[in-house]
Amino acid sequence: MSDASEVDTLITDTADRLFSQLCDHESIQKAEADGQASDIWSAFADTGFPWISISEESGGSGGTLLDALEVLRLVGYHAAPIPAAETGILGGWLMSSAGLELPSGIVTVLPNGSQGLAVERTGDRLTISGRGLRVPWARVAETIVVPLEIDGQTFAAAIDSSECQISRMTNMAGEPRDTVDFENVDVFAAVLPSEINLETFRFRGALSRTALMAGAIEKMSQLTVSYTNDRVQFGRPVAKFQAVQQHLVWGAQDAALARMAAESAGREANRGPALFEIAAAKLIANQASARATKACHQAHGAMGMTQEYPLHHLSRRLWSWRKEYGGDAEWSSWLGRVAVAQDADGLYPLITGGSAVLS
Amino acid sequence: MSDLNEEDIRSALDMVLERRNADTRLTTMGAGSDDLDAGRRYLASTVTQGWHVPAWPSEHGGRNASVSQNALIGRVLREFIVPDLYPFAIGLGMVGPALLAHGTQSQQNEWLRSIASGASIWCQMFSEPEAGSDLANVALQAKQDGEEWILEGQKTWTSRAMWADWAICLARTDPGQPKHKGLTMFALPMSLPGVQIRPLMQMNRDAHFSEVFVDDAHLKDEWRVGEVGEGWRVAMTVLAHERAGGGSRGGGDGGAKGRRIPSWISDLRLSDNDQSTVTSDAIMSLYSHDSVSRWTAQRAADEARSSGAPGPAGSGAKLRTVQSYKGRSYLTNRVSGAHGMLEEGHGYIEVMTAPSMSIRGGTDEIQRNILGERVLGLPGEPRLDREVPWKDSRRGLI
Ligand SMILES: Cc1cc2nc3c(=O)[nH]c(=O)nc-3n(C[C@H](O)[C@H](O)[C@H](O)COP(=O)(O)OP(=O)(O)OC[C@H]3O[C@@H](n4cnc5c(N)ncnc54)[C@H](O)[C@@H]3O)c2cc1C
Repeated sequence: MSDASEVDTLITDTADRLFSQLCDHESIQKAEADGQASDIWSAFADTGFPWISISEESGGSGGTLLDALEVLRLVGYHAAPIPAAETGILGGWLMSSAGLELPSGIVTVLPNGSQGLAVERTGDRLTISGRGLRVPWARVAETIVVPLEIDGQTFAAAIDSSECQISRMTNMAGEPRDTVDFENVDVFAAVLPSEINLETFRFRGALSRTALMAGAIEKMSQLTVSYTNDRVQFGRPVAKFQAVQQHLVWGAQDAALARMAAESAGREANRGPALFEIAAAKLIANQASARATKACHQAHGAMGMTQEYPLHHLSRRLWSWRKEYGGDAEWSSWLGRVAVAQDADGLYPLITGGSAVLS
Repeated sequence: MSDLNEEDIRSALDMVLERRNADTRLTTMGAGSDDLDAGRRYLASTVTQGWHVPAWPSEHGGRNASVSQNALIGRVLREFIVPDLYPFAIGLGMVGPALLAHGTQSQQNEWLRSIASGASIWCQMFSEPEAGSDLANVALQAKQDGEEWILEGQKTWTSRAMWADWAICLARTDPGQPKHKGLTMFALPMSLPGVQIRPLMQMNRDAHFSEVFVDDAHLKDEWRVGEVGEGWRVAMTVLAHERAGGGSRGGGDGGAKGRRIPSWISDLRLSDNDQSTVTSDAIMSLYSHDSVSRWTAQRAADEARSSGAPGPAGSGAKLRTVQSYKGRSYLTNRVSGAHGMLEEGHGYIEVMTAPSMSIRGGTDEIQRNILGERVLGLPGEPRLDREVPWKDSRRGLI
């Protein structure tokens, strides 16, 4: 890997091939019914993909955040039913940053940190009780990471999942989003470096979803172009109707927009804090998802509404991811507050300079 | 029957139905519900006096109501608990009116009352794998054989097929005619030998629509609705009633006397993030849109009932009603925050069902084509296959 600002295409080509082979319609349907896809996960993990961007000294696979985000984009593109973001750039990142040893299995995180938990600290031990909501893939995780703040310091608590009570819940896409109950769980309090806190964790979560969404919109757009070129009504492919072409253009525009936003946020995050870019990218991806799912479903007619046709794997994921790590209202208000805090002359530099202007 | 005033209607309905209260909630379009009994009980208890289909003749389960009386009854009915009539909607809203327009006296005698009383459920066998928006491309064949018709082919997306006793089925009787001309409409008993139903699972986990395979099914000629070769005309009547929403009386929200805030608003679970003017603005513009939609749909339905031949107003009504539904489901889900991502979340079924609203009953694009051509008089789309015999046009592209 020569240039840290370039994606390693060897990695992404391999990931693309792997998902193309494993994530067909039937396997995704099956993963939804089973609540997991252990074969897809094993193939993914065997090649070290989950731990890209975590240094080899910390037990990761090396590579940059850009590489990891590109793999996540492919996870979204193929609707791969696996906890790639949780094990890698979220949970794995928190653990390695806190100097904790990475487990060989799946890692997940509490998306809302310690919200809803009662935490007591005694020296370097924590006792945790309470309930974590909508925890991705908790049922198959080996380790559940809780990022939390005590007295202005941020810690990562890595909890063995066998010490928790896990109740199965699912998001609209049929992906596990479990409820996790802790009862006086005793765990080591690993201190995180000062640049990581609950806010930067939330932005990191949003960044992961942005990459996933960019991939899913792109696939959805391609699927729609190909379906409408095959589907004949009134003696011609429906893609020949201008009204349908408008839907196709929305899908394609939104795919390009979301990908551009995700990539520029990723590049910035690879260099340093990228709060402005990530907030903007998540909002853009959220809005692009809403428009693109609407356009792509409409262009498909009744076919897109059935379980037998794969469009729903993408649209239902987008509707769910749109709500994770900040919906439209949250990021709009964050961006609004930041923009208003600049004086009038500061607005344009903020738009062109982004986070660099804020720091 | 002389017209009743509002109070008369209310006290008559009080004898058979329960009033709505603020807690009454209804499911939408059957999504998530398989309850046939509630609708059956409701229809059975209202049929004697013809409350549900007042405009129908009294011998068929109506009360010969005038247009204005019919509208008034509809308004008062909204103060009462009317269950989700989704299973019965094709019969009540589409087949019934089409039989009144195109059916023979004996067909009306045989079928209308059992529709009005909820005793029989109908489904609509129009769409086929190659005939969606291009409905006139129907390929299911009906061949005459003495006093019988032999049907052969496949339908798809047939909602309610698994509950239905009868289907209204569009079939091709003369492949040598241009596509709109060689069609004939039949009533098809779903229990007939040769009729096979295969439910399709939808994205919202409902299995309310099915593929229906018809293999060597023998139909009596007395089940033919309208003349041979007039199937398209009958189909247009059925579809116009579908769009005008004749079937959708009952269900829906609002209504309870004195209640100002519709339940979709009082049910919104606003998070801290959403207690904003942005959300108020969205709620209010949706509320206005919703009210206008309801009036537009009402006007289209009344027009359809009074003329017996509904026009393009129904297309406008359908577009608006769909927009309202989608807007409500989107807003409800948006303000429910991250919890709305879960299957258990508020509005899950609605989000999963919303896209289909712009597709079923004729897509938004097709409704706009109808409005463009029939209301605004815009030039029609080029229809190259209009005069070509169907059998020659259907393969290859034009
Ligand atoms: C939930 C549900 C229930 C249904 N229930 C029934 C039922 O009970 N009985 C029944 O018979 N059918 C039923 N249908 C089928 C429904 O009527 C068709 O889906 C609909 O007519 C559209 O046909 P299609 O799905 O083949 O889409 P297509 O016709 O393939 O359309 C694909 C896209 O092309 C567009 N398009 C097509 N032609 C044109 C044009 N000329 N100009 C501009 N755009 C165009 C469409 O608008 C759409 O966006 C149901 C459908 C759904 C989703």
